[in-house]
Amino acid sequence: MSRRLGVVLFVIVGALGFLVVKGLGDATTYFKNADEVERNGKPLPSLLGKRIRLQGTVVAGSVHETGSSVRFVVEYRCVSVPVHHVGGQPSLFKQGIPVVLEGRFARGSTTFESDRIIVKHTEEYKTKESDRLAAAARESQGCAR
Amino acid sequence: MEETRRSTGSALTFSLGLAALVSVVATVALGLALPSTVEQSDFSRLIAIHPGVAWASYVAFGVTALAGALWLWPRTRRTDWDLLAGASAEVGVVFTGLTLATGSIWGRASWGVWWAWDARLTLSALMFTLLLGYCALRRVPGDPDAVARRSAITGLLAVLVVPVNHFAVEWWRTLHQGRSLLQDIPGNDVDGKFIFAMTLGFVAMTLVYAWLVVHRLRIARLEAGIDADDLDAAIEARRREAVPA
Repeated sequence: MSRRLGVVLFVIVGALGFLVVKGLGDATTYFKNADEVERNGKPLPSLLGKRIRLQGTVVAGSVHETGSSVRFVVEYRCVSVPVHHVGGQPSLFKQGIPVVLEGRFARGSTTFESDRIIVKHTEEYKTKESDRLAAAARESQGCAR
Repeated sequence: MEETRRSTGSALTFSLGLAALVSVVATVALGLALPSTVEQSDFSRLIAIHPGVAWASYVAFGVTALAGALWLWPRTRRTDWDLLAGASAEVGVVFTGLTLATGSIWGRASWGVWWAWDARLTLSALMFTLLLGYCALRRVPGDPDAVARRSAITGLLAVLVVPVNHFAVEWWRTLHQGRSLLQDIPGNDVDGKFIFAMTLGFVAMTLVYAWLVVHRLRIARLEAGIDADDLDAAIEARRREAVPA
């Protein structure tokens, strides 16, 4: 085994190790769904102040722009979480679509303070509006409010 | 010494190159002609390019592993298998790099971010690093058989990342969309256009991969031939020294 082989192996293993650690820590659960971050309308105490990624569908009619920020509600399995977002919005952001939000629950607040919206799309490639919004609305109506 | 310009082109590479060019042009044309979709509007068209490029990187991993295995197996051991493994890995670096690049562009457009540390993206970065590492390992000088053996074993270990990455979008929660290939799609004529464009992309990128690999393999053969020539010349020189004039 030459010295050069050792150096090459060290660099490769180091790079792979970095990616695996990064992946294990973060990647296997890229986000938490809305129904996993709160109980009885209150964010889980263990999450307070922690930076997390929250996934949910933007509830139709809940989006309200207020100057530099926007308020909306995301929902997953009938659990909805109010969101206050400050910062840019991706061009595809709109109601009725699933999004991943980066941010935190401040102590004493039930609103998720987001600073990054990531649009999460599926492997669906449909050209017609079809009944997507209707389906989203139906889903929401199925939830007791 | 005879001065000849040795080329790696042939009827095979010409046909492959032409087929690759035609299919890439067709893929781009078809991709641009795709309608915009509900979810991703115009950005959906990248389905013609990105999955095909990613597929070619998977093929590169597979060929490198298979060629390495054929070298390791005593009955099929030929220097060509080792050279093919190396050629495939180098072309694989290009396709894995392009996968990351096209994916990043698509991600910026659709998701709004260039990068996300989700399982699919992390594993794709891992694939890129594995191939770069494999190529670096091949360049560490040593006994040709020892180099071929360690390369073959590395290639066989590295290919394990491919099925993991393929299923990553189902095993874990990812930002990346579900599998593009072998997914259960409800029959829909609109979806069909996208599947067709994607499939054409697979064919096109596989042809480009094959074309590049044949050229690279022939260059590797020429390099190996030159090395052997040098060795022959050196042996001949020693022999002449040894023989008293």
